[in-house]
Amino acid sequence: MSKPSIATQSVFLERLLFNVRPLWLLIFTLITIFLGWQASQVRPEASFTKMIPTEHEFIQNYFKYQNDLASLGNVVRIAVETTDNDIFTAEFQQTLQQITDEVFFIPGVNRSGLKSIWTPNVRWSEVTEEGFVGGPVIPDNWDASAASLEQLRTNVLRSGEVGNLVANNFKSALIVVPLNEVNPDTGEALDYQQFSQQLEERIRDKYQSDTVKIHITGFAKVIGDLIEGAYQVGIFFVVAITITLIMLFWYSRCWRSSFAVLACSFIAVIWQLGIIKLIGSGINPYSMLVPFLVFAIGVSHGVQIINAIGNNSVAGHSKIDAARIAFRSLYIAGLTALVSDAIGFTTLMVINIEVIQELAIAASIGVAVVVLTNLGLLPIIMSYAGVSKRGIRHTEKQQTKKHQLLGFFANFTKPKWAYTAIALAIVGLGWGLVYGQQMKIGDLDAGAPELRPDSRYNLDNQFIVDNYSSSTDIFVVMAETAPSQCIAYDNLELLDRFSWHMENTPGVQDVKSVVYVAKMGAFGLNEGNLKWFSLNRNQYVLNANTSRTPPGLVNADCSMAPVIIYLNDHKAETLETVVAAVEEFNQQYQQDGLELLMAAGNSGIEAATNSVIESAQNKMMIWVYSVVIGLCLLTFRSVRTVTCIILPLMLTTVMSQGLMGVLGIGTKVATLPVIALGVGIGVDYGIYIYAKLKEGLAAGMNLDESYQYALSHTGKAVGFTGLTLAIGVATWIFSPIKFQADMGILLTFMFLWNMLGAMILIPSLARMFANLSRKRHA
Amino acid sequence: MNKAAVHVSAVVLTALLSTAVMANSAIHRDYEVMHAPAMLAKKAPQAVLTEITRTDTRTIAVGDYGLIIFRDAAQSAWQQAEVPTSIFFTGIDFADADHGWAVGHHGVIVATIDGGKTWQLQLDGFQYVEQQKAHFSQLVAALEEQLENFDGSEDEEEELLFALDDASFQLENAELALTEGPTKPFLDVHAVSNDDVYVVGAYGSMLRSQDGGKHWDILDERIENPDGYHLNTVISDDHYLYVAGEAGQVFRSADAGESWELLDSPYNGSFFASYVDKQQQLWLVGLRGNIFVSTDQGDSFERIRLEDNVNINAVVDAPQGGVYLVGNAGVIGWVDANRNVMQMTHPSAAALSGVMTDADGRLLAVGQRGVIEIDDFQRAVHEQE
Repeated sequence: MSKPSIATQSVFLERLLFNVRPLWLLIFTLITIFLGWQASQVRPEASFTKMIPTEHEFIQNYFKYQNDLASLGNVVRIAVETTDNDIFTAEFQQTLQQITDEVFFIPGVNRSGLKSIWTPNVRWSEVTEEGFVGGPVIPDNWDASAASLEQLRTNVLRSGEVGNLVANNFKSALIVVPLNEVNPDTGEALDYQQFSQQLEERIRDKYQSDTVKIHITGFAKVIGDLIEGAYQVGIFFVVAITITLIMLFWYSRCWRSSFAVLACSFIAVIWQLGIIKLIGSGINPYSMLVPFLVFAIGVSHGVQIINAIGNNSVAGHSKIDAARIAFRSLYIAGLTALVSDAIGFTTLMVINIEVIQELAIAASIGVAVVVLTNLGLLPIIMSYAGVSKRGIRHTEKQQTKKHQLLGFFANFTKPKWAYTAIALAIVGLGWGLVYGQQMKIGDLDAGAPELRPDSRYNLDNQFIVDNYSSSTDIFVVMAETAPSQCIAYDNLELLDRFSWHMENTPGVQDVKSVVYVAKMGAFGLNEGNLKWFSLNRNQYVLNANTSRTPPGLVNADCSMAPVIIYLNDHKAETLETVVAAVEEFNQQYQQDGLELLMAAGNSGIEAATNSVIESAQNKMMIWVYSVVIGLCLLTFRSVRTVTCIILPLMLTTVMSQGLMGVLGIGTKVATLPVIALGVGIGVDYGIYIYAKLKEGLAAGMNLDESYQYALSHTGKAVGFTGLTLAIGVATWIFSPIKFQADMGILLTFMFLWNMLGAMILIPSLARMFANLSRKRHA
Repeated sequence: MNKAAVHVSAVVLTALLSTAVMANSAIHRDYEVMHAPAMLAKKAPQAVLTEITRTDTRTIAVGDYGLIIFRDAAQSAWQQAEVPTSIFFTGIDFADADHGWAVGHHGVIVATIDGGKTWQLQLDGFQYVEQQKAHFSQLVAALEEQLENFDGSEDEEEELLFALDDASFQLENAELALTEGPTKPFLDVHAVSNDDVYVVGAYGSMLRSQDGGKHWDILDERIENPDGYHLNTVISDDHYLYVAGEAGQVFRSADAGESWELLDSPYNGSFFASYVDKQQQLWLVGLRGNIFVSTDQGDSFERIRLEDNVNINAVVDAPQGGVYLVGNAGVIGWVDANRNVMQMTHPSAAALSGVMTDADGRLLAVGQRGVIEIDDFQRAVHEQE
């Protein structure tokens, strides 16, 4: 018998693993318990600063004045809508008053800044012969009577709040809720998710009725909804595991092997999460993709192992020998594939956005962990468990039966099939190139692009945009001056010109800054005479005119005044136009002591992100493809081989860009890494298939026979891998978070298409090259 | 066109474009709003506009950012005039179809001789301040000399002393303005003829030119205005010039501004505009819905009220008789020949500070949100009810 020789032929790694199996089981168990405990403490987080390119000049400028701009940006708006004719009814006003009071007591609210027609800081004023008169919008002697309501209506009209706190159609009223990023009492940072939940429980659930509708918008709500959406991803994970288990069983007909693969892959996920927690990194809505990928990669390599063990068992080997031989035959291929995955992921590090880098780190750690669990632990477990009799019988049957689907793929070494496939590929390439032109940088949908266009948040946002005079796409330019010079005449005069320059830039709706306050102040303080709506060279006059400047429009030491530019939308072209207009102005007008710095506001930050994405896009492509081509050259040392493997990948890349163009998915933080992931994992298929093809050719088979040989050995596993990977990410298509859904669509497409590309185009291209060289020789 | 011609025109076009770019990319340091040419702006008709007027051929409006816009036929789009300054304009008036003046903040006066297409700077605030200094130091010297050689009554002496006080105060202001820059905006302009033009402004400033703007005379001290109230508006009928302003002050001059009499004012709040209609009736409008009309050159006034108490800022003859008035908070009113009143509120609620009708009888108002057009006022009122 050959039994003794199996142990003696073993390599070092194999001996290390199999000679002390119980010890390894113990070590794996202990590590899993420890990392499991760590992983249990991982919470989804959505850190704003991690989603933006912190090194970019715009963001650096923004960080410099982040605190000064806080009161400007971090505001939640609650619109209370009535289904009656208008808001001037006793019941509605009572509800509005109650909601205002309720909001006042929610932790995190900046109470002095809270504004609604029921807060005392909202006043009306009027010019009379004696000067200004005014008072709170709610009449002093309010008693909810018809007379009071009529008085309220008059006061609202005089207050100038129509379009601000009261909707243009008088059917809803706003509560403007500024937030404290840091609790002034405890010093703790605001917990967005908790805050968002409180809004739901204490406001929406409590006050929404048949006659009253509540609409809530604001950055805090976006983050809250994002994290809430992220928790739903947990359900997708369960779905992905279930489907995978069913597929595993269908493939192996052995519960033991199926569960072993599933368990090892799941352990890989636990380890990955635990290690992330240990190194102080978090999991965000982007890197949430990684556990899915790790699980799927784990399963696909696990399948190779149990496949081999099954084959060995059919050949009559014992449990342990079957496992040993499987390990021996697969560990080099597995390691190579995983290393190429890991290197593919690390190319993402060239993009200077933390969420992407975290994703790259998490994915690389995950792949490294898969090496241990599914190449190490799985064979050990299987050496104890073994493949069930039923599984062995199934494998035996499969070996003898001619597989229909594989037979179909085997056709592609025939010239007619090969050239048809190549022709179709060229058509696909053309399609991708044409529609890829439509692919845009950045987010294309209105409202909060992180969430779906028809999400409750975006509907609420649309309601507020439709009924109030404010855009939610805001680009802020920071006018930096020497301390206490922010309202100096010279500076204001140039800022006024700048405002007009920007107002006439395409895509700009409105521009507001302290200049507007100064001009409005002059208008108001001169008896409401519009002919004074201008700046005055006298600094005392200017000081008086700006004395009612709302907080946030100048900073504490008056060294910075934000210019707020309201945009029609946040499309990349709009942002580029705005940035170019600011640059043009800066070029034309240079004044000592005044710097116009870009950029804050959601659109300003998006402009920075877009520019980083745009420059990273090609850089990343070049890196990924260089790495992949380099690895393939190293493995196969043949340009022709590498061409056969790389061309299908490129086709997939081009076609996925076409898909993005057609589906209106922009290149953004979420979708940029997808290409790298797709290429990094996609190349595995080619490597596996071509390796076997080459083996066959080396053994003297012709191309048709070689490809059949390759298909029967790795083709089936490649198909299975493509499917498991696709299923792992396809569940994401149903995520409430728009960018996760986009990632899901693209990855599913890439995994499936790369798999098909490898199985169809590699033999087709090989046939083409073979025929070409034959002609040349003839 | 043959190929060579295409090529040549392309070269010419490129050359033109590149010079345009070069002109555009000039670097400006020490930005001065008075001397910065008005920016060509697509949103000009939506900017803050203060006054609108009409010549035989054109409708012309002025406002913020050195904007002067005009259009010929009623339906054509607004065009922007070439203006050498970016200051905030407050007033515009034409003597005939070609000759017009516009005034505004920072002591700027511009003029056109081509019906409003291009404008030239006639006075800027720095020149104005210099001129004020020269004028008031001369005046102080003259008054001091008069006082030294004085031998009249005590009352007359006291008057001279007051005048000297005022002149010295103005001189100090002018000297201060030399370092600070011009701070007094002009608020209205009235062209009586191609030569005779009157300008009034903040803190009692008044200018007159008798040569179409080549020279401007300072007339501040001709009006008795010891508190330096703003002079908001100037107008004329066949006999008199009228100036009205802050605190209900109304003045009348029969000698082209040489001397002024203070009229008995019907109101103690500010008047923002004056108007002489087709019937030679004098209209004064102002703060808190105050509207007065005089049929006897300002000797007596009749009071008219709209529904709302908002500032009324401008008056113009209505084609169907009576006058249109516009005011703050989007108020547009019509007072017919029998003094019946009709009112509407423009949905924008914008402060309106100028009003005009065009050749087709359409009502054009300008204000906080730019130009507002109302095709049929009566129908608009009806629809709002």
